[in-house]
Amino acid sequence: MVRRYAGKIENGKNVNHQENRTFTPRRSFRMPPQIVRLVLLTITIVGSYLVARFFLTPSSFGRYGWYRGEALEELSSRPRSFAGKKACEECHSDECLKLSKAEHHGLSCEGCHGVGQAHADNPDIKIDIRTFSECARCHEANPSRPKWLKQISTKTHYPGQKCTECHVPHQPQEVP
Amino acid sequence: MKTGVSRRNVLGKLGAAFAGIMTATAAKTAKAAVQKVFVSSGAPKGYDPTKHKWLMAIDINKCIGCGLCVEACKKENNVPEGPFFRTWIERYVIPKPKPGSFTTRTEAIVDSPNGGMHGFPEPPVPVGEIEQSFFVPKLCNLCEHSPCVQVCPVGATFDTPDGAVLIDPNYCIGCGFCIQACPYGCRFLNPVTKTAEKCTLCYHRITRGLKPACVEVCPSEARIFGDLKNPVPDDPIKKFYENNRVQVLKPHLGTEPRVSYAGMDKEVR
Repeated sequence: MVRRYAGKIENGKNVNHQENRTFTPRRSFRMPPQIVRLVLLTITIVGSYLVARFFLTPSSFGRYGWYRGEALEELSSRPRSFAGKKACEECHSDECLKLSKAEHHGLSCEGCHGVGQAHADNPDIKIDIRTFSECARCHEANPSRPKWLKQISTKTHYPGQKCTECHVPHQPQEVP
Repeated sequence: MKTGVSRRNVLGKLGAAFAGIMTATAAKTAKAAVQKVFVSSGAPKGYDPTKHKWLMAIDINKCIGCGLCVEACKKENNVPEGPFFRTWIERYVIPKPKPGSFTTRTEAIVDSPNGGMHGFPEPPVPVGEIEQSFFVPKLCNLCEHSPCVQVCPVGATFDTPDGAVLIDPNYCIGCGFCIQACPYGCRFLNPVTKTAEKCTLCYHRITRGLKPACVEVCPSEARIFGDLKNPVPDDPIKKFYENNRVQVLKPHLGTEPRVSYAGMDKEVR
């Protein structure tokens, strides 16, 4: 019988002859250098990402949601150009009172008179005359306009005359 | 006397703790310095967005097409000259069906010359041939599921807790995805700042207790504005929903617009 087994048999036990021959105390496991480099590179990339994220994420991010909370404050701090009817009422209460009793009570002052924030901040600054709106802007006849609106055609309705010769804008029902 | 704690040990631990605190402080200071460079700040405080829910509604029956809102919006928000609008007015002209055609409605002719800012010229069909005609003011529809917010690649546009959809101009890169995504055409690329812009409900006004500029100047109260969380007596928004049957634009898209229209025709898209 040919023994094909390479190992030795001692006392009936199989002993690997190679282990037997070159036995050395087991050394601590050494990471292959290419793996070490890979791990270091990964740590560097992730670390630098975390550092960059720490510095570049706005401190207000996530205050209200997935965005920069400070953007709301920045957008709300923009300057205005329309002051609002309340601001007009502070000084021009008499005109506002007349208006509130007339048909034009729903109109805002700045709709006809133009932008007034600069004038409200400093009464010496006059309202820009170019921002005025004339009567015809709303009352010129147009088939698309709703029927409840009083409309005239400036071509046929006393052409060449000023509206204010016959009408009082603040009290449209009265005669000047 | 010998104890388990050595002086060296205690001093070493104290030193480490001190170094840790200093590092954290230094990091915070450094972060603040870095952010000062990249992000501007210094805005007023005192307004809590979580305590408001703003909403606008449009009554088409009341719109007279004067264009004051469009002009006011341009002035208030420094919208550049030209075809750039945060709000605009469309004119719908529905001609009479041809005699003997037995159709009830013909296709509407829609135009908006210069956004309706300077009013509307003569209608495109003779007055006698108009079946119906009306004006429809348009603005950001304040969608519940905003497509524009979903597509922004840098997270520069967002839904605020107080009901507005805003754009962070410092973070917008001007790619224009949101402009394509908006099914209502409410966004544009500002040629001056090169960032996307849209109706903000005049965020700088409503946060100070004022009405948006378009609502402020509207002579016929066609634009209704209010705060759902802080209703006032005789709240216009509440009255609007009580007295009108309302509809939203393009409901089939599932964007769930929060801006409602009263008296809308089926032709309005």
